[in-house]
Amino acid sequence: MSDITYLPGKEPHEKEHRLIFKNIDRKGWDTSIKTYLKEDGYEMLKKALGMEPQAVINEVKTSGLRGRGGAGFPTGIKWGFIPPKNTKPVYLICNADESEPGTFKDRYILHQDPHQLIEGMVISAFAVGAHTAYIYIREEFPEAAVTLEKAIAEARKEGFLGKDIQGSGFDLEIYVHRGAAAYICGEETGLIESLEGKRPYPRIKPPYFPAAIGLYMAPTIVNNVESLCHVVHILRMGGEDYLKLGTPRNSGTRILCVSGDVKNPGYFEVQVGKVTFRELLYEMCGGPKDGRNFKAVIPGGSSSKILRCNESFKIGRGDDAKDMTFWDLPLDFDTLAAAGSMAGSGGVIVLDDSRRMSWVLNNITHFYAHESCGQCTPCREGSTWMMKVSDRIEGGQATPEDIKTLEQIAYQIDGKTVCAFGEASAWPVEAMIDKYRDELLSETSEDNNFKSLERQEQEKFLGTVHS
Amino acid sequence: MVPRPRSIERTKVDYVRLYSPSKRDVPTPQSINLGQVNYSDTNESKPTVLEKNVHSPVTPGTVNFPPFEATSELEKSANQRISQYPEEQRRSAVLPLLHEVQHRHGFISPESIEWVAKKLDIAPIKVVEVVTFYPGFRQKAPGKLHFRVCRTLSCAMGGSYELMAKLCDLTGIDRSGSDAHTDPISVSPCGNYSVEYAECLASCGTAPVCLVNDDFHEGVTAEKAPDLIAKYNR
Repeated sequence: MSDITYLPGKEPHEKEHRLIFKNIDRKGWDTSIKTYLKEDGYEMLKKALGMEPQAVINEVKTSGLRGRGGAGFPTGIKWGFIPPKNTKPVYLICNADESEPGTFKDRYILHQDPHQLIEGMVISAFAVGAHTAYIYIREEFPEAAVTLEKAIAEARKEGFLGKDIQGSGFDLEIYVHRGAAAYICGEETGLIESLEGKRPYPRIKPPYFPAAIGLYMAPTIVNNVESLCHVVHILRMGGEDYLKLGTPRNSGTRILCVSGDVKNPGYFEVQVGKVTFRELLYEMCGGPKDGRNFKAVIPGGSSSKILRCNESFKIGRGDDAKDMTFWDLPLDFDTLAAAGSMAGSGGVIVLDDSRRMSWVLNNITHFYAHESCGQCTPCREGSTWMMKVSDRIEGGQATPEDIKTLEQIAYQIDGKTVCAFGEASAWPVEAMIDKYRDELLSETSEDNNFKSLERQEQEKFLGTVHS
Repeated sequence: MVPRPRSIERTKVDYVRLYSPSKRDVPTPQSINLGQVNYSDTNESKPTVLEKNVHSPVTPGTVNFPPFEATSELEKSANQRISQYPEEQRRSAVLPLLHEVQHRHGFISPESIEWVAKKLDIAPIKVVEVVTFYPGFRQKAPGKLHFRVCRTLSCAMGGSYELMAKLCDLTGIDRSGSDAHTDPISVSPCGNYSVEYAECLASCGTAPVCLVNDDFHEGVTAEKAPDLIAKYNR
């Protein structure tokens, strides 16, 4: 593909491998179907409709594609969970509620290449036997919702959507459903509740695994935008060839979104596990800002555990275990999990030595306190407590005891909630205290005597309470 | 708005009954006007939580938006939205319908809640619970230009707090009374501008970012704030 030119300053780095982002920020590219068809668009849709649905699923299973939304669950296996004796309609939902802080990959696909997503959705819907599909798009992308609806209308006009697509007898309708600025709608069961017109309180699993009991209590497949786009490329390359990209168990490409304190932040589509932190931050992002040094990195969206840049890890089991410094870690699902964090949604937030960790912690806890849905008590109350305590630490009014309190709260949320939001809010706090305890302690003082409103009221009536 | 008789104004509106699914004794929106309550008129100074959640307090921005009216154009786009969901699952259209209303009228008023509920054949409380949950739905009128500044980590590092301070400075907005949970929007006294902190607008690589009404702007540092406002006032 040597004839592709990109907008000035948006050219891919030589270490990149563009599949999904081939057309992003490309010169002369627009969102119309005409442009998309010129580049063999919708060819894979025609190919898929000529195959058996099970063959498409097998191809995706062979490819080893892992969901790009955050959990990294194999997409083909997810599709296989639909009960075989199902008689209800099957739904496909595209999760375009990209709201993990640090992640901004789906924005570009939705705004600049909507037909790629639609093609991927038609193929996926055909594979799982869905005749209605929804794109749940976050409210903060008003422009993308319009672009998508226009693209859907175009695709329908060309016979790629609607009744009897390309003479195959397969029907599919895709609708755009706008959310309303709630982070919890990114959780798949929360998203389903929201699509049903309720508050997005996540459902408990089991029994509510969406593939069995999802939207309107019917089998539902929820996939991230990027995962659905990968399906097109898997069919183009064939599952076997796609598997060769990346590393074993971490196949394909993924988009890393780098933000924060680097010279050139932005998106980079790389083969999974082929790029280390050193290559990413120094070669691709141009290193730290002038006169500063890297301090820490949050590798997969703000809910993943922070990693110190001067840390070293033992990766692997038994005799295969080897020592690796932070800089040699490749960014794939398994290595980052072994390093005690996660690859998550690919949002890499970089912090340099000018940042106070108490300030960072405070910003993160404010986010989770605002976005907790309030269904489970540990998370609803705990996220607010964490916010209050971190406010105190950041403001220099905390006692050393407060660090312990904060840690205690975090560990009491972790694993005690219906959905993964509990972990998402607790992990950053746990990791921050674990790795920067001394720095946080240095901002506290024994002399501080903070009394909460509750404590003040108590003392009014009960006298001084000793805790 | 016609002032309500004193007796109704402060006699406890029985919300439990009003927002219960049995339709028999639900007063029509005309019979009890939930639209505006003049709190200064009453003896009790502070509204209750329920009143705060159901009423839309008047802001300087209220004049910018037409009062809610179910026009044929709104009905048409609402019906089109409802048709996207299975017939027996009309409730799914709550969010799309509220978006249609907010897009035209700037915020969600009690009258529009009643209308959406009627349209979808569900109890009004089921619409209220949705409106009060999602930060994307406003319950009071914003300014003509509504700024939503991202305050999450990457943008905060890029200077979004400074941007917010600058915007408030330029437009004369006082954010001291706002609260992230219950009252996120602050409107300028002239009614032309309003600001709000948003949680992650998903463009962290181009921090700091903000939304102005439906337009997205990236790399808006505090120095660029005057230009941004000037761009819309041209």
